[in-house]
Amino acid sequence: MSSSAAVRDSAKQILKIIEKLPDERIKHLVSFKDSQAERFRRVAGLQSTDKNEKKASLEDIKDIITRTSGPLGLQKDLLKKVQSALPQDELTEQSIQEQMRALSNISNNKFKNYYDVGEKLYKPAGNPIYYQRIMDEIQGKQKETFLSALRTVVFGK
Amino acid sequence: PEELKSPEDLARQSHLNSKPIDFTNYAPVRPGKKKTLLSDSKYESKDYQLPKWKEAFGELVIRTLNLDMDKVRSGPVAGSYYYALCKNVALQYEGEKLSETAKFFYQDLKLPRTFSQWFQITILHEWLLFVRMRAMPFKYGRNYQQKLVDRTFTDIEARLFDEMNVTTGRIVDQYLKDFNTQLRGAVFAYDEGFYTDDATLAAALWRNLFGGRKNIDMVHLEAMVRYVRSQLYVLSRMSDRDFAVGSFKFVPPDETVERLTAEQEAQLKQKTIEKYESIDNDPKILPSDRSRLSYKN
Repeated sequence: MSSSAAVRDSAKQILKIIEKLPDERIKHLVSFKDSQAERFRRVAGLQSTDKNEKKASLEDIKDIITRTSGPLGLQKDLLKKVQSALPQDELTEQSIQEQMRALSNISNNKFKNYYDVGEKLYKPAGNPIYYQRIMDEIQGKQKETFLSALRTVVFGK
Repeated sequence: PEELKSPEDLARQSHLNSKPIDFTNYAPVRPGKKKTLLSDSKYESKDYQLPKWKEAFGELVIRTLNLDMDKVRSGPVAGSYYYALCKNVALQYEGEKLSETAKFFYQDLKLPRTFSQWFQITILHEWLLFVRMRAMPFKYGRNYQQKLVDRTFTDIEARLFDEMNVTTGRIVDQYLKDFNTQLRGAVFAYDEGFYTDDATLAAALWRNLFGGRKNIDMVHLEAMVRYVRSQLYVLSRMSDRDFAVGSFKFVPPDETVERLTAEQEAQLKQKTIEKYESIDNDPKILPSDRSRLSYKN
């Protein structure tokens, strides 16, 4: 196998890992998963997917703008440039293998499992439902009511 | 099991030599007047010794008013000591030699040497401490978090005026608001990643620390996930008391954290218990050394 074929082949394998990454629970203008899928699709020599279907809708953009302001010092036109810029990857057989190994370690939860912090930090004594509440809110399981929000503001939890 | 590498070794072994595209307004930190690490107050200088009479008077005040030392300590420990730790990790000035930890972030991970990048690295470390502070009894943990955040913003405000040469208060206010948004966004994203999985944590690091660069080096990302999880592991093995009196230090990126065996963990606990029992059972214990925080957890 020639080296460029090997790179393309590895890129295809990386794409498989990327596809299995969890989707973002909160929408952003660019997602890690999408941007990396796009990047390695190019390396693999595959057609990029239809961009329009991935584009954020007007509602999404409004939502994002109310949540955040632009990154510091980043002008709007610059932001556009960042979006459209194509990074030049000079991938060799060796470096793409490393990329793949790293990504698969990440997607296999290697470090969360190895450095297990246990209930002490996941259910912190000061506020045992802290993380659960965040997850419920993100997944839309349990909406904050006015009273529960008020309680958080007054008592801090 | 398999070989463990320090985050630094891990990052350095990557053979990807693409240059990250950096579109930030490149604003190097090139101060006319450099601020001291914390403040010019003599009380925050390392070599200052409180005169004996002041010390005795302080102890008297604490005893008579029965002050809650765990609350009082949040200022010097979280606001001063822990903030200095976070600030120092990636502090850099143009033309000056980088510290060992700063080298990891700016050279190995190829992050831009700017003020806002320093801020991102700093708040990542503050968030690591927040995670531990949440596991303290609520009123104390919250107090520690508050002190750390307050100190961060007073310091940034001063640095923007003194070191970044921003001259008008209005612009500084804008920056501060922006930094506040970044802080809240980062804490939220890291919390989600911490609780769910490495992939989500990696995405949060990519978006915040690495500025969402498209040609991210996955090996660098992996090194950072390892870095974050290993620090949290160390924090999780620490008792409230130990953490609250300021015994924690970040593990430098060139060191590897290995998991403790059950035996080592029991030994560590035993040692901590002995240490604080002897302090607490000493009839001559100073009022300022008192604490109600657990040393057994």
